Amino acid sequence: MDNSIWISILGFLATITLAFVVGVFYGGLVRKVTARIQNRVGPPFYQNFFDIVKLYSKTTAINHGWMQHLGPAFAITASVTSLMFIPILNGQGDMMWFENLNFKGDLIFLLYMMVFGSLGMALGAGQTGNPYSAIGVSRGLSQMVGYEIPWVLALVAIMMQAETTSITGLIDYQNANDTWMMFESPLAFIAGLLAMLGMFHYAPFDVPFAPAELASGPASEFGGKYLALMMTSGAIMAFVKLVLFVDIFMGGASNLVMLLVKTFLLYMVPVLYGVVSPRYRTEQSIRYFWGWPTAIGVLGVLYVVFIR
Amino acid sequence: MNSLLLIILILLGGAVLAYLAKRITPMLSSIVSFLAISSATAVFFTMTSSTDIVEVNIRNFTLEFGLNAYSWLFGAMVMGVSALVSLYNIAYMKGKDRLGYFNSNFTLVVMAMMGILFSNDWISFFIFWEIMTWSSFLIIVYNGIEEGKIGTKYMIFSAVGGYAMLMAIVITNSQINSFLISDLISSFAGLDMGMQSLLGLLFMIAFSVKAAVMPLHVWAPRAYSDSPMSFTAIFSGLLSKMGVFGLGIVLISVFAKSTNSNIIVYTEILAWLGAITGVMATFYAVIQTDAKRLLAYSSVAQLGYIVVGLAIGTKLSVMAAIFMAVMHAIFKGTLFMAVGAVERQTGTTDMTKLGALVRKMPWTFVAALMSIIALAGIPPLGGFIGKWMLYESLITSDHYFLIVMTFLSSTAAFLYSYRFLFGIFLGQEEKEFENVKEAPATMVIPMMILAASLFFFGMFPGYLFEPIANSMEFLGMGQVDWSMTVLSNQWGDQVDTLSIVNSIITIFGIAFIFLGLKNRKKTRYVTTKDIHTGGEIPTENENLTYAVDFYKPFERAIEPAMRRKMDFYYNKFGNGLESLFEFVRRIYTGNGQTYALYVIIFLVILILFSEQIFL
Repeated sequence: MDNSIWISILGFLATITLAFVVGVFYGGLVRKVTARIQNRVGPPFYQNFFDIVKLYSKTTAINHGWMQHLGPAFAITASVTSLMFIPILNGQGDMMWFENLNFKGDLIFLLYMMVFGSLGMALGAGQTGNPYSAIGVSRGLSQMVGYEIPWVLALVAIMMQAETTSITGLIDYQNANDTWMMFESPLAFIAGLLAMLGMFHYAPFDVPFAPAELASGPASEFGGKYLALMMTSGAIMAFVKLVLFVDIFMGGASNLVMLLVKTFLLYMVPVLYGVVSPRYRTEQSIRYFWGWPTAIGVLGVLYVVFIR
Repeated sequence: MNSLLLIILILLGGAVLAYLAKRITPMLSSIVSFLAISSATAVFFTMTSSTDIVEVNIRNFTLEFGLNAYSWLFGAMVMGVSALVSLYNIAYMKGKDRLGYFNSNFTLVVMAMMGILFSNDWISFFIFWEIMTWSSFLIIVYNGIEEGKIGTKYMIFSAVGGYAMLMAIVITNSQINSFLISDLISSFAGLDMGMQSLLGLLFMIAFSVKAAVMPLHVWAPRAYSDSPMSFTAIFSGLLSKMGVFGLGIVLISVFAKSTNSNIIVYTEILAWLGAITGVMATFYAVIQTDAKRLLAYSSVAQLGYIVVGLAIGTKLSVMAAIFMAVMHAIFKGTLFMAVGAVERQTGTTDMTKLGALVRKMPWTFVAALMSIIALAGIPPLGGFIGKWMLYESLITSDHYFLIVMTFLSSTAAFLYSYRFLFGIFLGQEEKEFENVKEAPATMVIPMMILAASLFFFGMFPGYLFEPIANSMEFLGMGQVDWSMTVLSNQWGDQVDTLSIVNSIITIFGIAFIFLGLKNRKKTRYVTTKDIHTGGEIPTENENLTYAVDFYKPFERAIEPAMRRKMDFYYNKFGNGLESLFEFVRRIYTGNGQTYALYVIIFLVILILFSEQIFL
C-alpha cells in the first residue's frame, strides 16, 4: 500500500483530536465567560478536560438494556461522521491533513447526518424509562422543527446563490468572488444566525435540558463512560456546527488561527445571548423561530431569486 | 402458455381456492393464498419477458396485455412485498373469523394490481382498477360495515375517482378512436387545448384518490388503520402505489407531449397539493395516540412527497419519486407488519398503554427501527437516498419554497418516528405486558428480510436505479444517468453512499465495542423503576410513564393550523346536499291532491304558452 492511506488515517485522527480539543476548550471557556458575567470566579478553562478524563475512567454498574449501550454510540457516530464531511480549512493551508471525506457529501446530507445523533441518543434515553428523559426528548424534537425552518431557508438562499449544494463548492464560490456569504446575502446570514441560537441549546432555547426542572433531560440516566462519550460527542458536534457556519457564511479559514478566531467569535453569539436570557416555554420557542427568523429567511430567499 | 395470463390465472385460482379451502380448515385458506402469491411471484421473476403480449381484437378496438420496463419495476415491487406479507399473513390471521372471505379478497387485490400493471389499454386498466377497489372495500368492511362509516367514505371517494377515469377513457376513445395507452400518448399533442386540460384533470383526479392527495385523502387514515394489519401493509404500501403508477404515466408520458402551456399550472398545483398533504398529514400523525393511526397519517404524508417528485417532472425528481415509492412500499409494509405483530402479541396498539416491549420483542424492534430510520430519511438507509434526490431536484429546479415545505414535514416526521418507537418499544415497563413473547418466526422473517433490503438499497442504490432508469426511458424521459453508489445532481454535487456507509459502520463499530460489548458483561440489568428521580425512590405501583400528550407543546405551537379538518368541509358539503334533497322531497308530498294540482298547473302552462312551445 502507498502512503495515502496512512495519511488519511492520520488525518482522520488529527481531525478528531483537533475537534475534541477545541470543542472541550470552548466548553470550558463558556463556563468561565458565564461565570464572569454572573460575577463569579468560575472553574478554570481546562475543567472540562478533567471532567471527561475522570468520567472515562469510571466503571458503570447498571444498565436498562441494549439501547442504553447503543445511544451514546449513535451520538458519537453522528458527530464524527459529520466531522469527516466538513472542510476544516479552505484549501490554502495544510489541506491534506484535514481533507477526510470532504468531497463525498454535501449540505443536505449533512443536515440529516447531524440529526442522526440526537435521534440515536433519544432512543438510548428512551430505554432508561426516565420520565425526565422522555420529556426532554419530546421538547428537543419539537424545538428542532422550529429552528430547522429558518435554517433551511438560509441554506436554500445561499445554495441558490452559489448554485451548488456542496460545502467545498460554497467555499470555492466565496474565494473566487473574494467575498463572504454573510455580505453577499445578509438576510440569509441573519436567519441562519437566529436558527443557530436554537441549535446550540443555550438559553433561552435550553428547553430540552432545562437543568432546573428536568435534571438535564435526556442525559439524566447516563453516567461514567456513557456520559463521557456523550460529552465528547457534544464537544465535537459544537465544533462541527461552528466550522460549518464559518465555511458557508465566512469563507472558511485559511489556517488554524483564523479558524479559532472566527469560530470563537461566532460561538460567543449564542453564549452571550444565552447568559442574559431566561428560558422560553417549548411552544414559545417554536413560535419564535416560525416568526421573525422565518420571515427574514423568506426575504433572504426572495432577495437571492429576484434581486441578484 | 403466456406468462402474464398465467400469473393472473394463478392468483385468480388462488382467490377461489382460498375461499373454498376454509371449509377444510380455516388456516389452510391463508396457506393457499400464500402459495398462490408466492408461485405467481416465482413465475413473475423467472418467466416473464417483454415479448409476452396478449392481443384481443373486439370489433373495432384492441385490448392489449403486456409488460414493459415501467410496469416490471412496479410489478417486482408488488410481487416481492406481497409474497412476504402473505407469509406473515398466515400467522397473523390465525384464529380470526371469516378467513375464506378475507384471504380470497386479499389474493384478488394482488391479482387486480398485477392486472393494472399488465394492462396496455384503458379498458382492462379500468376493469382491474374496479376489481381492486371492490376487493379492498370488502376487506375494509371486514370489521363490520358500520365501523365509523370508513367503508362508505372509501367507496364514495373511489367512485369519484372511478367515474373520473371512466369519463376520461370514454372521451379519449371518442377523440382518438382507440383505447390503447400508447395511442393516447402519441396522439395527445393532436388534441385541442381544452380537451388536453380536461383529460389531464380527469386522470389526475382518478389517480389522486388512490394516491391520497389532499383534498381527496380523507378516506385514507381510517381505512389504513382499521383494516387487518396484514392487508394494510399491502394497502398502504402497494395499493396506493397504483395511483402513483397512473400519475407517472399521465404526468410524465402524456403531459410531456402537451402543446398546452397551461398544463404546467396543473403540475405546479399538484406539487403544492402534495407538499401541503405532506405537512398536514405529518402534523396529524404527530398528535395521534394509536400506532396504527399514526402510521396511516404518515403514509398519506409520504405519498405527498412522491406526488411532489412526480409533479415537478425533472429527471432527478422523477427518479426520486419512484425510488421513494419503492422504499415506502418496503418500510411502510414492515412497519404495519411490526404493529400487527405487537397487536397480536399484546392485544392493543394504543401507545399510551404499551411500553418497553424492546426486551420482549427484540426482532420486531430491530425491523421497526430500521424502517423508522429509513422513513425519517436518515443515512445510511434507503430512505435517505430518495429524500436527498428530492431535495436536490427541488433546489436545482428553483422550487425554493416547496423544498421548505417538504423539509418542514420531514423534520416533523422525526417527532412521530420517535413517538412510535418510544411509545411501543421503549419507556417504562408495564406490569400488564410482563409475559409478552416475540411473534412467531413466520411473522418475524418477512419483516427482517424487508428491513435488510432497506439497508442494502441504502448502500447500493444502483441496483434500484437501473430498473428506474429503464422505466423512465420507457416513459419518454430519455437517457438517465445513474451510478451504483454515487448520487449526483445537475449542478455536479455528489454524495458517495459507500463512503458514508463505511464511515458510519466503522465508527459505530468502534463505539459499539467500546461501550456495548465491554460494558454488557460488567453491568447488571435493573428495571426501569430503578432510576434517577430527583431523590425520591419510586414505589412499585407508582406510575412514571410519560406517554399521554407526548407532544403537547408542539400541539400548542401548531394549533392554528389544526383547527379545521378537511372532513369539516366535506360534512358541510354533505349537509348542503341534504338540504337540497329535503327541498326536492317537498315537491313529492305523497298526497294525491298535490299531484293533481301539479298536473293542472302543467296543463295551464301548456295552454297558456302552447303557441310559443309548439310553433
